Amino acid sequence: MPPITETYSLGLPVEIGEIDQELKKLWEKSEGAMTRASLVNLAVYSEELGSLEKNTQLIAKITENHACRAIVIGADCRAKENRLEAWISAHCHVSRADSKQVCSEQISFLLQGPCTTLLPSIVFSHLDSDLPFYLWWQEEFSEPMDPQLWAWVDRVIYDSRTWKDFRAQLHLVETAQQEARQRIVLCDLNWTRLDKVRFALAQFFDHPASHHHFSKIKKVRIDFASGYRSTAILFAGWLAAQLNWRADKTTAHELQFIGPADRKIDIELRERPGEPVREIALETSEMEFLVTHAECGDLLEVSRRKTGEKHVPQLMPAGKNDPVSLMSEELMRGGPHHVYLHAVNCIRDLL
Amino acid sequence: MNRAADQPEPNPLREGLSARAVPQPCSIVIFGATGDLTNRKLIPALYNLAADGDLPPAVAIVGFARREKSDEQFRAELEKATRKFSRQPVRDEMWKTFAQAISYHQSEFEDESGYKKLAKRLDRIDKEHGTRGNRLFYFAAAPDQFEPILKHLKAAGLNEACKGSWARVIVEKPFGSDLGSARELNRIVRNSFTEEQTYRIDHFLGKETAQNILVLRFANAIFAPLWNTHYVDQVQITAAETLGVETRAGFYERTGALRDMVQNHLLQLLCLVAMEPPTDLSADSIRDEKVKVVRSLRRLPRSEVAANVVRGQYTEGAIHGDPVLGYRQEQNVNPGSQTETFVALRLFIDNWRWADVPIYMRVGKRLPKSATEISIHFKKAPPVLFNKGLSDQNVLVIRIQPDEGISLRIQAKVPGTSFRIEPVKMDFHYGTSFGKASPEAYERLLLDAMSGDATLFARRDEVEEAWAFIDPIEEAWHSKKDAPGLFFYAAGSWGPEDADDLLARDGRAWRRL
Repeated sequence: MPPITETYSLGLPVEIGEIDQELKKLWEKSEGAMTRASLVNLAVYSEELGSLEKNTQLIAKITENHACRAIVIGADCRAKENRLEAWISAHCHVSRADSKQVCSEQISFLLQGPCTTLLPSIVFSHLDSDLPFYLWWQEEFSEPMDPQLWAWVDRVIYDSRTWKDFRAQLHLVETAQQEARQRIVLCDLNWTRLDKVRFALAQFFDHPASHHHFSKIKKVRIDFASGYRSTAILFAGWLAAQLNWRADKTTAHELQFIGPADRKIDIELRERPGEPVREIALETSEMEFLVTHAECGDLLEVSRRKTGEKHVPQLMPAGKNDPVSLMSEELMRGGPHHVYLHAVNCIRDLL
Repeated sequence: MNRAADQPEPNPLREGLSARAVPQPCSIVIFGATGDLTNRKLIPALYNLAADGDLPPAVAIVGFARREKSDEQFRAELEKATRKFSRQPVRDEMWKTFAQAISYHQSEFEDESGYKKLAKRLDRIDKEHGTRGNRLFYFAAAPDQFEPILKHLKAAGLNEACKGSWARVIVEKPFGSDLGSARELNRIVRNSFTEEQTYRIDHFLGKETAQNILVLRFANAIFAPLWNTHYVDQVQITAAETLGVETRAGFYERTGALRDMVQNHLLQLLCLVAMEPPTDLSADSIRDEKVKVVRSLRRLPRSEVAANVVRGQYTEGAIHGDPVLGYRQEQNVNPGSQTETFVALRLFIDNWRWADVPIYMRVGKRLPKSATEISIHFKKAPPVLFNKGLSDQNVLVIRIQPDEGISLRIQAKVPGTSFRIEPVKMDFHYGTSFGKASPEAYERLLLDAMSGDATLFARRDEVEEAWAFIDPIEEAWHSKKDAPGLFFYAAGSWGPEDADDLLARDGRAWRRL
């Protein structure tokens, strides 16, 4: 058995049919010194070369805060020869409560060739019973979407930022969602990426006395980093959905929405180096609300400016853009993402 | 848990971002700002909320105290304390911004002009910080200062808020020392603030596991049919600590364990365990059900106190192998003190659900380990089949602190050819399952007060009913004739033997912790 410590290796190679017995042995060898913990089945699917090792590293970090049974799958559908290999390992961390070693299991699969069609059966036979099943799909979706697999998924996690054809991809996901026998929650890491910025902007309007600003918004500026245009548009979609704006005109650098009472709202999109969404400025006729990344990077500076009012910027957590942070954030959430779906509906034709 | 009636219109941009009521911009005025509570708990809690992004940016903190001090001195002292006591490390840039919102207001508590200046200062802060006229007054001062503070707040018009804003007051325990003083305190508070404006803080209710009691009971159908006299044999609540009186001797001498712990923390926990399902999750629905539990507690006439309540005091002994002094030898303690450092009670809730189920509570200082736990002991299975001669019960344990979690003891067959049955424990540890650290109780409660959610705060009638139950016990102990005795226990033991006898008489024993 490999050492039961934090490791990024794939662990012990095992026969597919022996996985359960080998996992059992793993825990027997620990002689009670470790506690196995699992709140969710987290399957990660990738077709990228070397993804098994990369995802093992991510899982090692994610399990520090989210105990799960991880099923990591690396697939190569184009290979001609069948190859199916499996490994088991454990990611152990010292619990904050009582210094115990708390461990999450990982089962890794390498699938090559036609055997990749075995994906559903491989996943199903290794789920930890009675726990929800989250599928982190790191590839573009393609037809046919396996109905057998989708019928079991509770949450599907993806990152729409890398989608080449947003509308087509979303159509596939939504169709699979509708055809599944149970409710699948769509979790877009590109949406999760916006959490802290949305939070920072939202807090300006917590007091009802500030709600009148909604009807005075004239212009929104979103500064985004190269490769994050879709993130910026998703943010615009969120504002539009929540404030009842509808899309009107689009250019490369500007979106125009029509608000209640046929009011025009311009959204300027500016590509700037830095964080995915570096700065949001929301202008009304009398005030500017600004959310910007502070110098130190992982904090947001929020401020509002009005003549005669003292400028008191505050700092808030900015969140991070790495996959571990985004996944950890996503795994903390529960319930459906209605707001996301509303936002997507507002901008699906703009992406 | 639910929005309060005075909660404003929802912010559309908040939808889906937060599953809790949104805290409002406000000024927080702390009376007793140079004291221990402010340094150890309040400011670190506020800092942690800010660092986690949970505090509204428009929050200003005003420390109100007697000593001469500049804003800079005050901030420097708080920074030092926060670096020491904060749950998470203090980041320089975050502290710098957080500290901008802190100021110091020097005044005697009895000085009327100090409050008038405070009112002006708060108006100015509203303009500068956008705190919108919302004021949260936190009473971290000694209880004997409450009256002048409240009187002057009212005189300065600070007890009332402008339209669309609010003024609230958080009162720290003790909420009186008996029913009479609690009523008097409530009267004093009510003269200046309505009940809806008043938040009586009991930090036990801010603990994650205390809140989880309601989830355990009302989100899991499995327990509902068993949670009554038909299936529950007894309930035990233990709040044990290894510490002695430390620096609190002066307070403790006047108070004792019954008033310090049972009247508030333990009865609050009992309420959560024993209450009926509320009609909804609003503050008053939950508190309506809690108060019914306290009201249903069987009152102990003076003649029955000795049979149902044991009081003890620790003598010298050892904790974790280290010798420690007896209570009477502690600094500032009367060498002939009759103050109890340990109480064990046997009580009953005379209602349909809990009739004849004994509730055993014990609380004590200088016990072998620090632990606060509630255990529900289910009735034994019929003595047939596997259970002939078996004495074990199923026990559901809710661990409040430390190592928060829940465990269930069940019977299992020992592997082998014979039918040997042993108890095994199914265990859920918060720390194991959820990597994220729970916020401190004060963080949750401060946020709730800013959000107008009074669910986890004690209501006037709860406090008074609790004192109505406690008072006869205190009176019996302090009566000149036939007062029940004070029993002694060595530090590091589980209390006087008489506490064990209390259960032994019923054929039961304290659960081993």
